[in-house]
Amino acid sequence: MMQQGKSSSSGSEMQVTWEDQQNINTFSRLNNRFHELEDDIKLAKEKCDNLEDAGNELILSDEEMVRFQIGEVFAHIPREEVETKIEEMKEATFKSLENLQHEKESIVSQMAELKKVLYAKFKDSINLEED
Amino acid sequence: MSSSSSPSGSGADLSERRGIPAAKFIQDVETYLSQSGFDSNSALAFHQERLQQYKVVEMKLLAQQRDLQAKIPDIEKCLEVVATLEARKGTGESLLADFEVSEGIYSRACIEDTDSVCLWLGANVMLEYSCEEATTLLKNNLENAKASLEVLVADLQFLRDQVTVTQVTIARIYNYDVHQRRVKQVTTPTAIAAADS
Repeated sequence: MMQQGKSSSSGSEMQVTWEDQQNINTFSRLNNRFHELEDDIKLAKEKCDNLEDAGNELILSDEEMVRFQIGEVFAHIPREEVETKIEEMKEATFKSLENLQHEKESIVSQMAELKKVLYAKFKDSINLEED
Repeated sequence: MSSSSSPSGSGADLSERRGIPAAKFIQDVETYLSQSGFDSNSALAFHQERLQQYKVVEMKLLAQQRDLQAKIPDIEKCLEVVATLEARKGTGESLLADFEVSEGIYSRACIEDTDSVCLWLGANVMLEYSCEEATTLLKNNLENAKASLEVLVADLQFLRDQVTVTQVTIARIYNYDVHQRRVKQVTTPTAIAAADS
């Protein structure tokens, strides 16, 4: 989490302009979004892995009718249909994972930029690291 | 880079949003303290209290967000089930489904080709709809839930901005206070020395 400039040593009168404040606000927003994205990416990766495992199990199994979970129930669905469904779900999850990762990269670079600007102005009076 | 007299830039310059008061940005601490008549301690106390109030609202909004985020996958699952039933409609085959009767106990149901589904609306009410109506209703609910979530997320962002502004203000008033005390400490001994000599 971000701590704001509690510069105890100098007690200097560092002027904070509206632009600085907006930069700090933006940094805070980006930081929050970054943490949300990390959680979402973790979930998406797990889902991808699960679908992968399900696909493999399906190949190994012999049954003609597979119990496929839709909502809260397990519907008896023929094998090919299940294969198709799993493929579709894998693609969708993979695409969503890619989007999340792109967004995360963009946020990381934006945060690095803001860090540069804010540290340049405030030096020690501000702490933008995770504690 | 001179500080302008009024906040410029982004469209988020509201004095309040849905009942949440905005935290006013202070251009200069000294001017603020003299204009408002606060001294450092009472100004700090005021802003700390504001911060607490913001935190309370944040808790509430976060809880609402969690509810909505749980509701949306539910609606999507229902849509999937209705879509599966609709897909089966033409074929005339019945669908075999295993559903949970109780923890660890499942029962098999044979779902005939059907035109209608029953939707649980909450409050012990269940209504029968045709497949198309059900799909429309569920899609509407999904759209509404997603829209509400968007508004909520925007509210939370606004709130977090106000929290950040208030935290920075508290830090600045504190620093100003420390600075003032230092200055006073330096000048007072000098004044005494001057009076003695």
